[in-house]
Amino acid sequence: MFKKLAVLFYIGSIIGFYSCNLEKSVNVELPPYESQKILECYLEPGKPFRALLTKSSPYFSELDFSDLTRILATILEDSAKVQIKYGNQTVVLTNTLSLDQINEKVYNYSSTELVPADYSSEFELEIILQDGKKITSKTKISPPVAIDSVRVEYNQEMKARALTYISDNPNTKDYYRRMLNLNSLKDSIPKQDFLADDQILQGSTRLVFGSGFQFKKNDTLYNSILRINKDYFDFLSSVKNAVSNNGNPFGQPGVIFSNLQGTTNALGIFTGFTTVRDTTYIR
Amino acid sequence: MNHIRVGHFLAIIFIFFTHYLNAQVSLSGTVTDAASGETLIGTAIEVLEWNTGTLTNEYGFYTLSGPSVENATIVISYIGYKPYSIKLNLSKNERLDVKLNPDSEQLEEVVVTANSYKDRINSTEMSTTSVTPLEAKKIPALLGEVDIIKTLQLKPGISSGSEGNSGIFVRGGNQDQNLIVLDEAIVYNASHLFGFFSVFNSDAIKDVKVYKGGFPSQYGGRLSSVIDVKLKEGNNQKFSGTGGIGLISSRLTLEGPIQKEKSSFIVSGRRTYVDLITNGINSANKNKENYNQIPAYHFYDLNTKINFELGKKDRLFMSGYFGRDAFAFTNGNFDFNFYWGNATGTARWNHIFNDKLFSNTTFTYSDYKYNINNKLTGFSFDLKSRIQDANIKSDFYYSPNSQHLIRAGFSATHHKFTVGRLQAGSDDGTIKFGSGLYPEGAELGLYAMDDYSFDQNLKINWGIRLSSFIHKDKTYFNFEPRAGAKYSLNERVSLKASYAKMVQYIHLISNSGVTLPTDIWYPSTQNVAPEISHQVAAGYNYILGDGYLLGHEFYYKWLKNQIDFKDNARLFANDNVEEEFAFGDGYSYGTEVELEKNTGKLTGWIGYTLALVKRGNFPNIMSGRYFSPRYDRRHNLTVVAMYQLNKKWNLSATFVYGSGDLTWLPIGKFSFQDIDGTQINFITPSYGDRNTFRMPSYNRLDIGFVRTFKHRWGESDLTFSAYNVYNRRNVYFYYTDIEFKDIMQGGVTIQVPSKVALKQVSLFPIIPSITWNFKF
Repeated sequence: MFKKLAVLFYIGSIIGFYSCNLEKSVNVELPPYESQKILECYLEPGKPFRALLTKSSPYFSELDFSDLTRILATILEDSAKVQIKYGNQTVVLTNTLSLDQINEKVYNYSSTELVPADYSSEFELEIILQDGKKITSKTKISPPVAIDSVRVEYNQEMKARALTYISDNPNTKDYYRRMLNLNSLKDSIPKQDFLADDQILQGSTRLVFGSGFQFKKNDTLYNSILRINKDYFDFLSSVKNAVSNNGNPFGQPGVIFSNLQGTTNALGIFTGFTTVRDTTYIR
Repeated sequence: MNHIRVGHFLAIIFIFFTHYLNAQVSLSGTVTDAASGETLIGTAIEVLEWNTGTLTNEYGFYTLSGPSVENATIVISYIGYKPYSIKLNLSKNERLDVKLNPDSEQLEEVVVTANSYKDRINSTEMSTTSVTPLEAKKIPALLGEVDIIKTLQLKPGISSGSEGNSGIFVRGGNQDQNLIVLDEAIVYNASHLFGFFSVFNSDAIKDVKVYKGGFPSQYGGRLSSVIDVKLKEGNNQKFSGTGGIGLISSRLTLEGPIQKEKSSFIVSGRRTYVDLITNGINSANKNKENYNQIPAYHFYDLNTKINFELGKKDRLFMSGYFGRDAFAFTNGNFDFNFYWGNATGTARWNHIFNDKLFSNTTFTYSDYKYNINNKLTGFSFDLKSRIQDANIKSDFYYSPNSQHLIRAGFSATHHKFTVGRLQAGSDDGTIKFGSGLYPEGAELGLYAMDDYSFDQNLKINWGIRLSSFIHKDKTYFNFEPRAGAKYSLNERVSLKASYAKMVQYIHLISNSGVTLPTDIWYPSTQNVAPEISHQVAAGYNYILGDGYLLGHEFYYKWLKNQIDFKDNARLFANDNVEEEFAFGDGYSYGTEVELEKNTGKLTGWIGYTLALVKRGNFPNIMSGRYFSPRYDRRHNLTVVAMYQLNKKWNLSATFVYGSGDLTWLPIGKFSFQDIDGTQINFITPSYGDRNTFRMPSYNRLDIGFVRTFKHRWGESDLTFSAYNVYNRRNVYFYYTDIEFKDIMQGGVTIQVPSKVALKQVSLFPIIPSITWNFKF
């Protein structure tokens, strides 16, 4: 009896084990969703005033992506009046589709005026949508932080890593975005892209961003350090959190932070930052 | 105001100890297992002429009082043991220590059943459940690893965090709202392998009791449950051993007398061995180019206990637990190590002052920590969190007469926390950064309670607990009343009700739905108020017939000062972690029904829970609106059946059905272009209200059978089990997959995302296992 039971038990178990697929597609019905206006407007000294105003869609909706024009028509929110005030200046961003071919970015509101290196003025954004509803926000441009040095080190296999040093001001609460692009800034997914603040320095003034030994001879490293403000830090953290915890059984997603106000339910960021960049060749 | 309250409390205690010093004779003693010398908790002792009875306390001690009787009949019974009856002249105080013999034909002994259920009918205790290692061993287990905590998850009102997880949620409480004590020392993280196994080795465990409500006054510090785990004391009659070899771990327990009948020891260890295999594979492939090392993981735990009888009136116990999980990964670039675990120590002294007064004084130490360190060439990183407790407590049991059983005591705990200590920097010291908080706190408790019998039918248990927590210059003080009542309609039916206020001064910083080793504890501070709950419960117990007991309860729990975390909270290496906290309220209510049968060839239980839990009023979460936590399961049904076919074969089956967990899915999506130097993320999820989507219901059937063999040296068994026998694909989590579409633009084909598809992932298919166990 014992042997028969054991054999039956194991044959059944093995058949069951191999016949199972632990992953499958499912359809679920989510609560009704009202589309939101999405704004990205980055003020970076030396670059034009420009903004991308789009709209969101239900999570499982299928978009009409038969060609690029239709995609843009589906996504973009046009016909709004957009202006940015600072000091006694007012910059009007016109509703024109523009393509930054170098960086492969699209904007549907822009001006030819360049963002000044003005780190003291408050910049005020006002958007009046086609239906008369408003989006407003305020920001300042964070001054740049200098890259003190970039040190390249090699391991025994002659793979290289880069250590990027900056000096933090211990008297201010500072936020940084660190990006490391390999060989190209254009359409390149950064090898590193993360946020940091100076809380962990505990009074020290030197901050270092390192990498693994992952680079080889003739690589070009673009080390970028962005000094950003808290609103942008919170927005970007929440976007990264929403993306990384989507489907993570151990994680907790969150509502995306926005610094937009006004009379419509808008989401996004209006912020100013400065970038310092160092280009390093691996020899 | 506080001084007045303390004064009143002390006056009440004084009254207890003076008012009842009226003359009656008493019967007291201890009850032990004749074969092993283990004290037996919850043994029923009845003096028929007094028409009253009691149970041995958690230390095996009992005391009863009544009028002088000649030739009184005393009946002592405990499930699984032959009942013992004796005639005694109770004309003066008597000491009666009893050794009960295990009954090999126990399961058919009806009288034991009647007594066992009768105690449940007569006791004021409600909202409790218990599990013995014997029960846990009979129930089919995941990968054959017998787990007493997972057995508890099969009881009504207790649910798991997610499939296979040993986290526990009781009556709508969070997982940090359970007080888990091992020989009275707190265990802060009761799980191995990211929650898939509990830290309790069932070979070393004597008894587990869970309070879900109606908390006795001696317990405090958590809102939702007390899980009281007692270790075996060790066989003081003869040297013996048990052990087993399973698929993922092996274990060995040795026990025996140090001095026969006077002192004993027990040592029990368990270790997994997957790492031994992976290390072998890594060694065999170490010279292969592009070979990726398999990370090494193992866990182990060790339980020890010794006890000494220092005379008729004194007994000393010392026990300890040490367990670690270790994960390591090394390659050319870095050397990563992650380990975590608990250590506890208990020294306990039982003293019998006289026939009516018994005391227990305990010193405990608890330590839970995790440590992650990584070394790269020239740099190192070290992240650590820890909680250490040193505790002293003393409990006094006093039975002045047959109507009163009084218990009073105090406890004092010093908590020491290391919260997110990060140290990182270069080896040459030029770069250095870190974080870390090191708060401390003192938690104090003073309590008294009385189990008072008005008459045969009506019994009340009322008590008070004064608790306090001191952190720097902030002191919290709370008055925690407790009350329970039982009214017997007849010998088979009793009605019960209870109320308990509980206060929790330390909190878990975790926003995941499962038990993770990196969860850290944090004290109440100036800005973090203690969590508070009020729970009322009412129900009845009904002996349906010999062998069956029906229990049915309703409860409602109010939760105040609940802690959650703001969206996108930074909980690691954050010296301002309190800024990430959100404070709100909650409530839960429900009903639990359990039909159990603990005698005969077929034993087991059917449990059903209907429950609802909500959290809300958090200003930073959903604008203060109420929401359901992930584990708000409306229905839970468990059926556990164990059948003893004959002396060689035992069969068992477990069926579990539960409403699906809630999950937080994105409801919208947008294109996030980001700044120069980055790529566009076309599908960025946007979340709305928390936990609005309920997963499909969960159900599973496990089966197991045990074949026992007798040998000259002892006995052994082969335990076969199959988890999820009909291979149900229960949802563990959802993830999204983006489908891309090619479009032509300017003669170039580019890929764009067209839609999002939802995929469900299941964790466990049917999993067969086999374990060999032995005993000598």
